[in-house]
Amino acid sequence: MGDAIVGVVANPLSGRDIRRLVTQASVFPTAEKANMIGRMLTALRAVGVQRVLLSTDLGGISASVLRAIGRRRGQDPPWPEVEFLDGQPIRQTAQDTVDAVRRMVTSGARVIICLGGDGTARVAATATGEVPMLALSTGTNNVFPAVREATIAGLAAGLVATGAVPDGHAAARAKLLEVRVGDRVQTALVDIAVCTERHVGARAVWDPATVTQLFCAFAEPDAVGLSSVLGQLAPVTRADPRGVTARLAADAPRQVLAPIAPGLVTAVGVGEIEPIHPGQAYAVDARAGVIAVDGERELTFEPGERPVVRLRADGPRCVDVPAALAASARLGLLRHQLRRVGST
Amino acid sequence: MTDTMERRALTREQLLAAYRQMRTIREFEERVHREFATGEIPGFVHLYAGEEASAVGVCGNLDGRDTIASTHRGHGHCIAKGVDVGEMMAEIYGRRTGSCHGKGGSMHIADLSKGMLGANGIVGGGPPLICGTALAAKLKGNGGVSVAFFGDGGSNQGTTLESMNLASVWNLPAVFVAENNGYAETTSSTWSVASDNIADRAAGFGMPGVIVDGFDFFAVHEAASEAITRAREGGGPSLIEMKFTRYFGHFEGDQQTYRASEVEHARAELDCLKRFADRVTETGELARADLEAVDAEVATLIDRAVDEAKTAPLPTGADLLTDVYVRY
Repeated sequence: MGDAIVGVVANPLSGRDIRRLVTQASVFPTAEKANMIGRMLTALRAVGVQRVLLSTDLGGISASVLRAIGRRRGQDPPWPEVEFLDGQPIRQTAQDTVDAVRRMVTSGARVIICLGGDGTARVAATATGEVPMLALSTGTNNVFPAVREATIAGLAAGLVATGAVPDGHAAARAKLLEVRVGDRVQTALVDIAVCTERHVGARAVWDPATVTQLFCAFAEPDAVGLSSVLGQLAPVTRADPRGVTARLAADAPRQVLAPIAPGLVTAVGVGEIEPIHPGQAYAVDARAGVIAVDGERELTFEPGERPVVRLRADGPRCVDVPAALAASARLGLLRHQLRRVGST
Repeated sequence: MTDTMERRALTREQLLAAYRQMRTIREFEERVHREFATGEIPGFVHLYAGEEASAVGVCGNLDGRDTIASTHRGHGHCIAKGVDVGEMMAEIYGRRTGSCHGKGGSMHIADLSKGMLGANGIVGGGPPLICGTALAAKLKGNGGVSVAFFGDGGSNQGTTLESMNLASVWNLPAVFVAENNGYAETTSSTWSVASDNIADRAAGFGMPGVIVDGFDFFAVHEAASEAITRAREGGGPSLIEMKFTRYFGHFEGDQQTYRASEVEHARAELDCLKRFADRVTETGELARADLEAVDAEVATLIDRAVDEAKTAPLPTGADLLTDVYVRY
């Protein structure tokens, strides 16, 4: 248990894209991201985590945590030792998240907590390998990461990292979508959308009229974002091995009201809906356009290029917070831990 | 929703115009950089090279009803809002033929006929001005929008914060564009901006705030289009933060001991002109030959502007008090 290391990676840019202008999405300030990490540190230490690896950034999150450590007083609840993963270039791109997660994995992190939106979780998941990931929402759409109090996430992550809750009871493997355009590859945890736009531009997809084809790894009835379109018509759970795809057209006879973004509920025309199966290749119909992964325009393709989408079963392993804490209740772990912490 | 698609799809003419303006700003600034080194240009100059996508992406959504206020780094905003390049160059050389008859210089180029309220030597001086023009547009009901450009240094000034508050309280057709190039003169914004992101401050004024890759014309244009349309339609003010790097020092002559390799990286990997050219030729929207023709036109334009500025007359003693006082 002495090696119960937890990695925490936080995206300084999540929660600030164009959806704040075109919908009513909220800004998630840096100060609150740092506060969340503070609350998480308290919880991690309370269940026995001694060491935390924290990503560094130029957006002020790691600096704010460093200041908080410097200002801590004797009566404050104890925190684990925090090691800042500095000493590597910060590019202020998604690569920073990948680099930080890789270092956490090689340094022996047993759980990696990821603060950001769907985009951040998607990028982090490319590097977590077999280490369970706990995605916590500080972004906009938040289909994959949970909107959850950081203290509770910290407790669950700590219980899994220390081995108090065996991770077989509290971690499940997610599905993954993959899109290939020639030798360019992107993955998505929730959905892949084919858009008629010509440019990546402001990245977020918020106008469903620009989407012609949608692939979902899962589609939950209570989701926000593009997957909500199929969540109401052909729900697919995260545990189901299949996914679902549909063609979208503004004038399709079947229309569904879908919460495409926070504060944006709009009618979407949906054509043919079909299940998708792991491993099979599904062609993109459009001649040219932009592919969005988990709601962000990422890959452009031109006439002559034929993007192909696949559903994969080998996505990241993810901590199930309710399951971890339910196991803890069954095993009486927090009762035991609280007595022990109080006596030291 | 289809109207938003149409609004976003730029025509060939719009793309060419955007490229021409960005190239004009780049060529203008690179030339002023070289000419300043000869000692012929009086006063200080602060160059906008590297930041072109911001001025052009924003102003590409404006029309004759709209006004902008600029900063000490104002050449790009002037060009993007349609101020005559020959008159601008003459102004920088302190000539009578300049935009302000040679009395303003680089930091005070203004042309009210173009809705350009002026470059401004006062950090944070622009935002209060656009509250005035935005209020005027609102009272006249002419659909005009006002845009204030300011830097990361300006974002910390009381004038900027008061203006954002006033614009929100009065629901003004205003857009605040924070051009965060990482340094207020030599002070890093990662040290001096307490909220770290300028866009985060929008929440405190009850307006939307977004961050945009300031090197990407298409990202800027799309975000600005939404903010300006929102303002025009009575939706109130918003804040857009551009993140990018200026290619030259704070002013010409700045030794830049406070920053390292980021400029080389930006020029090589992030350059807005290169990214724009690669993108539109990849999609086939424009051909390389179209862009090269613009490059040649712009080079001639700037050559002529410099030649004319150097030979234009200086103001005389008799000009001392003209255009200084206004009778109301």
